[in-house]
Amino acid sequence: MRTIKALKADVLFQLKQGFYIVYIVLILIYMLIISQLPSDASKIAIPLIIFGDPSIVGFFFIGGIVMLEKIQGVLQYIVVTPLRIREYLLSKIISLSILGEIAGIIIGATTYRESINWLLLMVGILISSVFFTLLGFLTVTRSDSVNEYFIDMIPYMFIGILPCFSLIDFPYNWLFNIFPSVLGLRLIFGAFYGISAANVSFFIISGIITNILLFNYTENVFENRIVYGGESK
Amino acid sequence: MIRVSEMDFTYEKSKKKAIKGINFNIEKGEIFGFLGPSGAGKTTTQRILIGLLRGYQGSVEIMGKERRMLSKDFFENIGVAFDFPNLYQKLTAIENLKLIGSYYKNNCLNIDELLERVGLLGDKDKKVEGFSKGMKMRLNFIRSIMHDPEILFFDEPTSGLDPINAKIVKDMIVELKERGKTVFLTTHNMTVAEQLCDRVAFIVDGGIPVIDRPDNLKLKYGKHTVKVKYVENNVLKKEEFPMDSISHNSNFFQILKSKNIKTIHSQEATLEDIFIKLTGRELL
Repeated sequence: MRTIKALKADVLFQLKQGFYIVYIVLILIYMLIISQLPSDASKIAIPLIIFGDPSIVGFFFIGGIVMLEKIQGVLQYIVVTPLRIREYLLSKIISLSILGEIAGIIIGATTYRESINWLLLMVGILISSVFFTLLGFLTVTRSDSVNEYFIDMIPYMFIGILPCFSLIDFPYNWLFNIFPSVLGLRLIFGAFYGISAANVSFFIISGIITNILLFNYTENVFENRIVYGGESK
Repeated sequence: MIRVSEMDFTYEKSKKKAIKGINFNIEKGEIFGFLGPSGAGKTTTQRILIGLLRGYQGSVEIMGKERRMLSKDFFENIGVAFDFPNLYQKLTAIENLKLIGSYYKNNCLNIDELLERVGLLGDKDKKVEGFSKGMKMRLNFIRSIMHDPEILFFDEPTSGLDPINAKIVKDMIVELKERGKTVFLTTHNMTVAEQLCDRVAFIVDGGIPVIDRPDNLKLKYGKHTVKVKYVENNVLKKEEFPMDSISHNSNFFQILKSKNIKTIHSQEATLEDIFIKLTGRELL
C-alpha cells in the first residue's frame, strides 16, 4: 500500500520536475530518426532503440531524480518516515518501467509495419528497465553531485551495455546471458523476429533471478550509504 | 520515554569518540533541551536516537525497547524537523504535506488547521520554491507533527523565523507537551531553551557535564545581586548589592532614599552565562 503511495508521489515529482516533457521529446526524436532510415535498417534499429530507451531512462532519469531528492533534502526526510527503502526503490523502478513500456509500445506501434509479439516486447523492456534503473541507483548512491554522477556512471554503464555485444555470435557468448540487459535485448529482438519457447522461459527466469539479487544488493548499499551515511556497523 | 545509558559512539573514519558515555532520561510529556556548540555531539546523539546511526555502545531505550531492535514502524510514532527545510521544491505546500502524510498509518491532523496556525493557509497551493526560508521552516515544522507522533525531535525549530512566527512555533511546542507529547529539542539558542525546556542537558566534546531544570541552574549558578542605577551630579552611576543581605544593607537604603533612581534589577545569570561558566565554552 505504501508502495502505491510512493508511486503516486514519484509520478507527481517526475511530472512537476519536467521529466515527462523531456521524455516526450526523446520519443519524438526516436520516431524522427527511425522515419529517416531505409526500411531494412529500421528493422534492426527499432528493436535497438526500444531496448536503448529504457536503459537511458532507467539510468539517467533515476540519477536525475535521486540527485534532485538529495539536493532538495527530501531523501533525508524520507528516511525518517515509515516508508521502507525497499518500497522507495520499488516505486521508482515501477514508475520508470511504466515509462519505458509506454515509449516502447508507442515506438513499436507507430514505426514497425510488421507484426510484433507485444507481450514478449513488454517483458523484454521490463527486464532491461529494472536492471538499468538498479544500476542507476547504485551509481547515484556514490555520488554527491551531478559531476560525480557522470564519472561514477562509467563502470556501471559498461556493466550494462558491453555484454550486449554478445548478441554477435562468438564462442561462449551464452555466458553473458546472466546479464539482464542481454536477456532483455534478446527478448526484444525475439518479439520482432521470433524466439523459441525454451529460450523465452530461460531468459525470463534468468532475468528475474538476476534482477532480484541485484535489487537486494542495491537495497543494502542504498541503506548503508543513504540512511546510515556510510556508517555500516 | 527515552533512556540513554553509557552511550558511546565513534565514527568509522575517526579514531576519536564523538559521544563519550552519556546518560540521560526523558520522561513522557517533557521538553528536553540538548544544548551545545557546533560539533559537540548534538546531531550525532539525535541521529542515534532517531535511528540514523548504528554501532553505538551502551543502551538507548525508546518507548521501552532498545533502539537497535526497533523496526521501521518506529517512525510511525516519531516526528522530525531538521534545522533546514527539506521539502519538494516544485510541489505546493499542501502537496508536500499530503505526499509525506500518506506514508503514515495514523490519520493526519487537520492539515488546513495546521497551515492556518503557522500562517500558510493562503499559500497552500503555491510551490515551495517561491517560499521564504521562514515559510519553509514553518512548513517543515508542521510536516513533523501532522501525523500526531508521540516523540518529536526538533533541531533549531525557530531558526530563520521572525519573532512573531517564532512565538507561534514555540506556543505549538508547549501545546504538544500539554497533550503529553515528548520533545527532544536540539539547539544552541539558549533563549529558546530557557523558554521551552523542562530540563536541559549541556553537551560539550561528546560529554554531558550538566543536566538540570533551567530555573535550578539559574538558582545554583546565578549571581544573586541587585543592581541599582542612579543619577548623581548629572552622571549615571551604578552599584550592585548582594541579595542575601539586602534587607539590612544601609548603603542600599541610603541610595534609594537620597538618589535619583533610574533602574533597579535583580541580576540573574542567563542560561548562556551558566553554560559558559560550567563548560568553559561559548555557544557558536
